[in-house]
Amino acid sequence: MLEVKGFSAGYQGNNVVHDVTFHVDPGEAVMIIGSNGAGKTTLFRAMCGLLSPSSGTVLFDGDHITGIAAERIARLGMRFVSAERHLFPGMTVQENLHLGAYPRRPDPETMSIVLELFPRLAERRRQHAGTLSGGEQQMVAVGRALMSKPRLLVLDEPSTGLAPLLARAAYEALGVLREGGLTVLVAEQQVPLAMAFSDRGYVLENGLIRLEGTTEEMAANPAVRRAYLGVT
Amino acid sequence: MTANILDGIVLGLQFGLLAAGLTLVYGLGGVLNLAYGQMGVISAIVVALAMDAGVPALPAVGVGLLAGGLLGLLLDQTILRPVYRSRGEARVLLSLLLTLGVSFIVDGFLIWRFPLKALSLHIGGGAVEILGVLMRRGSLLASAITLVTIAGLFVFFRRTSLGQAVRSVIEDEEGARMVGIYPSRMLRLILILSGMLAALVAVTRSMVTPVDVTGGLHMTVFALIVTVVGGRGSVAGALLAGIILGIVNVVAADLIGTYVSLIILLGAAAVTILIRPAGLLGVKE
Repeated sequence: MLEVKGFSAGYQGNNVVHDVTFHVDPGEAVMIIGSNGAGKTTLFRAMCGLLSPSSGTVLFDGDHITGIAAERIARLGMRFVSAERHLFPGMTVQENLHLGAYPRRPDPETMSIVLELFPRLAERRRQHAGTLSGGEQQMVAVGRALMSKPRLLVLDEPSTGLAPLLARAAYEALGVLREGGLTVLVAEQQVPLAMAFSDRGYVLENGLIRLEGTTEEMAANPAVRRAYLGVT
Repeated sequence: MTANILDGIVLGLQFGLLAAGLTLVYGLGGVLNLAYGQMGVISAIVVALAMDAGVPALPAVGVGLLAGGLLGLLLDQTILRPVYRSRGEARVLLSLLLTLGVSFIVDGFLIWRFPLKALSLHIGGGAVEILGVLMRRGSLLASAITLVTIAGLFVFFRRTSLGQAVRSVIEDEEGARMVGIYPSRMLRLILILSGMLAALVAVTRSMVTPVDVTGGLHMTVFALIVTVVGGRGSVAGALLAGIILGIVNVVAADLIGTYVSLIILLGAAAVTILIRPAGLLGVKE
C-alpha cells in the first residue's frame, strides 16, 4: 500500500532522515519507533507533503506521491494526524469532523462510527475544538481523519501530551479501527503502547532505520528491550 | 442624537462589510490588499460608464459587481503570484508594497482618463420616518442591501461546506491541507468575493453620496482601520468594529467636525490595539 524508498528529508538543506526505506501492506499496523529527535516527525511530514523531500520515492497504491502537495495526498486517501493535531480551534467539534469529509458531504454512517468510537465527542459536538482537553482534541484529530474513510491512516505520536490512561485509551480506539480493517502507520516514542498495537515495526535512530521486524522479534531483541522497553 | 446613532449604524454596517472583504483576504492568505478601495472605485466607474451607454441601473450594477469579482481574480492571477511564493511577514510586506503600487497606477489612470466621472445612484421618492428620524430612501435601500449581504455572508460561512472550508484555512492552514482543502483555491475564491464586496459597498455608498475616481484610498483606509479593530480574518469582528467606528465617526463629525472625526477614529483604533492587540474578535496567531 505504501512504499518508501531511499527517502531523505530535512530543513534548509540539512537532512534529518537519511535514505529511509520501509513499506506498509494493506491491513497492516506498522510502527516506527524512536526517541525524541530521531526524525519520525520529519519523515512523516515529508512523506505527507508538508515538507519537500530531498531524495527518494514514495509510492501510495503504486502511484508516485513524492513531493506532491499535502492537500492532494489527503484527497488520495492517505490521512495524516499530526502530533500537534492542527484542529480548527474556533470551530465546533461537529464542524471539525464534517470538514474531514471535505469536499464530499459528511457521511452520516461514518459520523456515527466516529461518535461510537469516541462517545465524548458526541457530548461535545457544539463546543469549540479549542476548548477541549488534550485527549478530546486527539479524538477530534483522529475522528476528522476518519471522516474521509481513508485507506491509510498515518499517525504521528498519538500519545503526545496525554496522561498514561488517556494514551492507552487512544491506542484502544486505534485497535478497534484496525479490527475494522484500517491500515495504520504510527510513529511513537512510548514504545510499549505501539508494540501492543502493531504487526511490524522499524526502529529509527538519528534519521536512519536501524532495525526492522515483526513486533515479536523486536520485543525479543535485547537492544530494543534495553533502549525502548526499559528492560536491563 | 438618535439620528446620529442611526446614521452611524448605517455607515458602520457599510464599513463593516467593506472591511470584511479586506480582513478575509488578510486572514486567509496573509495578503494585505492596499488596492482594495480602488477595486470598488473601478467597479463604480464601470457602473457609471455602463449607465452613460444607456444600460439601465440594475443590470449596470450587475456588471459592476462582476467587474469587482474579475478584478479580484486578476489580482490573484497576476500581481499576487510572486507574493504567494513568500511566507509570513515577508508575504504581508510584499503584498502591501505591490498592491500599493497597483493603487497608485489605478488612481493615476482613473484621474487621467475619467477625471470628472463619478457614480451617484438616485433613488427616487421622499424621505421615510423611522424611529422618529427622517431617512432618505437611498440610505434606507443602501442599508437594506448591506444587511442582506451580511446575512448572506453569515449563511455562507456558517452553513455551507465551502464557507466552512474557507474558515478552516483561516483557523489553521496546515490543518486544512491535512484534510484535503486547497488553501490557494480558497484564497482565489475570497479574492473574487472581496472584489465584489468592494464593488457592492461603492455602489451602495453612491446611493447616499457620489463616489468619484479619487475615493479609493479613502475606502482602503477605512477598511484597514476597521480590520485592525475587528481582528484578523473575522467577519463578525469587522461588523462589530464597523458599527462602533461608524457611530464614533458620525457623532464626532457632528459634535466636532469632519476633519477631526478621522483623527478620533484613528485614536479609537489605536486604543483598541493597545487593549486588545489581536482586535475585538481576531484569530490569535
